[in-house]
Amino acid sequence: MKLRLRCVAALVLLPALAAAQYLEEFEKRVTEFTLANGMHFIVAERHQAPVVSFHAYVNAGAVNDPNGKTGLAHMFEHMIGKGTIEVGTRNWPEEKKALERVEAIYDELEMERRKGKQADAGRIEALEKELQAAMKKANSYVVQNEFPRVVEQNGGVGFNAGTGMDSTQYFYSLPANRVELWFLLQSEWFLQPVYREFYKERDVVREERRMRIESSPQGKLYEAFLGAAFIAHPYKTAIGWASDIEHLRAKDAAWFHKTYYVPSNITIAIVGDVDPGRMRELAEKYYGRIPAGPPPPPVITVEPEQYGERRVTVESPAQPMLMIGYKRPNQTDPDDPVFDVLSGVLASGRTGMIYKELVRDKKIALAAGSAAAFPAGKYPTLFLLYAVPNVGHTVEENEKALYDIIERLKKEKVDEETLKRVKTKVRAGVIRGLDSNPGLASQLAFYHAAYGDWRMLFKTIDIIDRVTADDIQRVVRKYFVPKHRTVAYHVKPTAEAGEEGAK
Amino acid sequence: MRRAAIGFLMVSALAWGQQAAKLPTLEELQFPPLRQVELPEVETFTLANGMKVYLLEDHELPLVGGFALVRTGNLFEPPDKVGLASITGEVMRTGGTKEKTGDEIDEELENIAASVESSIGETSGTVGFNCLKENTDEVLAVFKAILTAPEFRQEKIDLAKTQYRSLIARRNDEPGGIARREFSEILYGRDTPYGRRMEYEHLDNIEREDLVAFHRRYYFPKNVMLAIQGDFDAAEMKAKLEELFSDWTVEQPPVPEFPKVTAKPAPGVYLAVKEDVNQTFLRMGHLDGMLKDPDYPALEVMADILGGGFSSRLFKKIRTELGYAYGIGAFWGANYNHPGIFGIGGSTKSGSTVATIRATLEEVKKIRSEEVAPEELKTAKDKVLNSFVFNFDSPGKTLRRLVRYDYYGYPKDFIFRYQKAVAAVTVADVLRVAKQYIKPEEFTIVTVGNPKEFDEPLESLGLPVKEIDLTIPEPKREKAETSAESLARGKELLGKLQAAVGGAAKLAGVKDATRVTQVTIQTPQGGMQVNQVNQWLAPAYFRQEQVLPFGKITVFFDGKAGWLAGPQGTQPMPPPVVRQVRNALLRNPFRLWLADRQEGWTVNAVDERTLEVSDETGESLRLEIDPETGMPVKQTYRSVTMRGAPSEMVETFSDWREVDGIRLPFRAETTRDGKPYAELVVKEIRLNTGLQPEELAKKP
Repeated sequence: MKLRLRCVAALVLLPALAAAQYLEEFEKRVTEFTLANGMHFIVAERHQAPVVSFHAYVNAGAVNDPNGKTGLAHMFEHMIGKGTIEVGTRNWPEEKKALERVEAIYDELEMERRKGKQADAGRIEALEKELQAAMKKANSYVVQNEFPRVVEQNGGVGFNAGTGMDSTQYFYSLPANRVELWFLLQSEWFLQPVYREFYKERDVVREERRMRIESSPQGKLYEAFLGAAFIAHPYKTAIGWASDIEHLRAKDAAWFHKTYYVPSNITIAIVGDVDPGRMRELAEKYYGRIPAGPPPPPVITVEPEQYGERRVTVESPAQPMLMIGYKRPNQTDPDDPVFDVLSGVLASGRTGMIYKELVRDKKIALAAGSAAAFPAGKYPTLFLLYAVPNVGHTVEENEKALYDIIERLKKEKVDEETLKRVKTKVRAGVIRGLDSNPGLASQLAFYHAAYGDWRMLFKTIDIIDRVTADDIQRVVRKYFVPKHRTVAYHVKPTAEAGEEGAK
Repeated sequence: MRRAAIGFLMVSALAWGQQAAKLPTLEELQFPPLRQVELPEVETFTLANGMKVYLLEDHELPLVGGFALVRTGNLFEPPDKVGLASITGEVMRTGGTKEKTGDEIDEELENIAASVESSIGETSGTVGFNCLKENTDEVLAVFKAILTAPEFRQEKIDLAKTQYRSLIARRNDEPGGIARREFSEILYGRDTPYGRRMEYEHLDNIEREDLVAFHRRYYFPKNVMLAIQGDFDAAEMKAKLEELFSDWTVEQPPVPEFPKVTAKPAPGVYLAVKEDVNQTFLRMGHLDGMLKDPDYPALEVMADILGGGFSSRLFKKIRTELGYAYGIGAFWGANYNHPGIFGIGGSTKSGSTVATIRATLEEVKKIRSEEVAPEELKTAKDKVLNSFVFNFDSPGKTLRRLVRYDYYGYPKDFIFRYQKAVAAVTVADVLRVAKQYIKPEEFTIVTVGNPKEFDEPLESLGLPVKEIDLTIPEPKREKAETSAESLARGKELLGKLQAAVGGAAKLAGVKDATRVTQVTIQTPQGGMQVNQVNQWLAPAYFRQEQVLPFGKITVFFDGKAGWLAGPQGTQPMPPPVVRQVRNALLRNPFRLWLADRQEGWTVNAVDERTLEVSDETGESLRLEIDPETGMPVKQTYRSVTMRGAPSEMVETFSDWREVDGIRLPFRAETTRDGKPYAELVVKEIRLNTGLQPEELAKKP
């Protein structure tokens, strides 16, 4: 076994080889299949140790949140911890009834509240009490956190999920002998999730928003920045607005599941010490039972043309940070790889232009850099520049220094050595990514979902290789214009400036 | 061929699927035994120069990587140079070698997608590298040069210090970070090597020669362990290393033991006030023990049941049942060679702060008074035992573990002993260790948040509440040299000033002063008007009333302490405001212009027109005087701040008018770090109106 692997590796990964050759060798370890219901599986064998990583990539995220229900994709994701009709309950039929009762009372309460001034305060109070009692009753059937407990008890590690703008992902790893547990639990949950303890979990999500956004200077800036850059497109927020979160209902989550969690919208990658034939057998057995569904509706809203620079400030006593975003097309645009290379030129390692100028030479920033596609890439998005000014230096200085770099890129072409360095690093990055089961699983699933083919993970190398200095100059000139720019930064609060100066 | 095989599989699977309509339940699932893990073989040997080497062949990918582990750490820093170890570790790499600057090395390594990085932490230093197989030789050469002969170029020392200054300035920005830091420093003791923190002043004290000496003392072959893993032949690598390091033969006396932890328990509730947050970040616990303690496995199981992961008691109670927190957990943070921290941490909305603390303490009480359920114990043990294989899922983990065990003097099979011990833990053990090792009466409880929005005052927990001063200490201003001569000239210059403004006797006759002003402060949103009334009564009573756009603020200070009253009520004067008021008292003309009569103050001449005045606490300012007229021109002082570096404030006087025979400025313009900041226009000054302490101390 070891000998075979050694041969494969030596062949596959000599860095001078073209991507096609890496791909050919790696492909021998990959098995791919689509179930009749449309769910797609990618299985990559890696027999170094008897462990397996699973990664389920649902091609729906915060962008799919309906108006007035931002945060819904994320809220639904939290339900993974609540279990299934088998795991997490003492008595499902009774619990089901109790949950339905909660919803019925909540409906009545909402109706009464909608009457506004005409609402009957006494009735609202009575319904609220009733609702509390109904929730208490429903909770009495719950075996708390049983689902994650079972995973952890079976040696599952890294149990987690994440909701992004474009996707929702569920992942963990298991010892190789227990793979069937993942098939059973995850398929059962995809088939029929349960909205157990939904409203307590809503409080938890509300706390998460307080922690990530409302109590964090950085979080507040992030939210203000996206809110200004996107006036219509749902890239405005992923975690959702506080008021929306506080009104989310279990039926909203159920609607989200029914609409977006159809098998054809889900990609699963399995990487590790597995037999692909057996994986296929188990996939058919457990996931084959999920009924096919219609393709989910697309996001209709397209961000309208931006007609001028947008500047937004966040008052904070904290030391300031700066974010600058330029509108750019999405990840399937032919210019997408050019943005990737550009970001490498600007901000990769200690040789990126931004690091060298702002951090190393001018010493005006503690940290500074860029991101090629922010906050995500499925829809037209932003090329991000950011800077964390050093003490004694201002946001303005940093902003100007960043524009100087951009203007220089419009005038002068990137030299060949720099270009080659960036490309070499991309290639090495792909290789280094191959030695982690969870990392590889996440990559394979993403490339399939985003580009329709996991092979893009390798093909990227060739695509990146074709980017020229002319391409970079053309792209910077075309997209990096003040009119399409959004700038966000912290300023001192009015109140504090007063207090301090006055004494 | 492949396709045909897949087609066949699909058919068979479908057929099978139809037969097995009923899927197994969780209980019915059967798992085969796990395949045996093969432990990779690590070759160890010692080079002629005394450096111990660990080699592990791993041919999966064409990569080579490794690290040198060095017995050093920030525990060995002098207390007035906190940060020396970190800066040394960093500049070893960025400051380059004799042949190449750090910047040249950056380009060279990144051109081949390789890296060499160096750092020094609490109890070790590391220099690591990673590269594609074909670049092994050139990258090893750079690695060796950085490990053995770094050049410490001054520009990179300056860069590192600049960066650390910014980190200090930013350390009070994120509340979670404040909670972690304060908790750890209080537990280990702020004046011990484990609990001290870097300040501006320390950075000022660190020079290149300190870095050179620190490196020389700890980086010698017998004090280094070198581990390399990857796509190479071990025999060839061994020969290569012998050759490469043959000329590195420096010797130093053995490195002493790390200092012992000397902290005493610091029970109570500690509060750091952050008004720009709506959540409270909590940490509570005390110091615990080491990994080698015989009870460590049982403690780890106990802490897991209490607060490890999704299925723990705290997670269930605080998050799932009460919905109070997104994150909540407990950890038994044992270290290899000194006590770690047993802590519980999380964050909750301001309005459930005390409720969360109470509910948490209740869970602590419970685990100390009742045996855990057998199922809880089984879950906790199974978690460790069933996931044990993940300790061996990459050869690198085995290598790193082996080196770490050797470094700290642990047996090679420590992890297997741990596995065995976990398997043997009983419910009685869990209760015993919870009772024996968790000491709620010694809990340090750190809260970072906005107490105005708390559900109940922290005092209601029945424990002493201490406020944490988040003020960032300013670097001691470099004071001008003093000599008998400069002090004499200072006195002379001050005398000139006293004569010019109306005479020392007149000044000494002022016992109280009331000043009504209008201040315009520059803010990013434009100028903001503030109306102020300042009152001073000798020796150091101070009251200020000011009307801001959002309401009225009154402060009172009696020379030692005071209070602050605003739209949200009255509170004891917080430490940063005390400092601001002390600073204002230093600038008070009836004190400052008579600096030669104040006890404990010094007046020194910096040059023929500048005085440096320091008060009894060491607080100082510079006063510029027109040598022709003796009139004050401007004064320079540092602002007091909780974040950021202190700013340099320069106040320039004009519009001199006489009040009761004393000339006083009726206009002042202040710049902050060279930029216009505030304009002050005096409406009225009244002297000796007979102010009384009780009058000034009256709450609004």
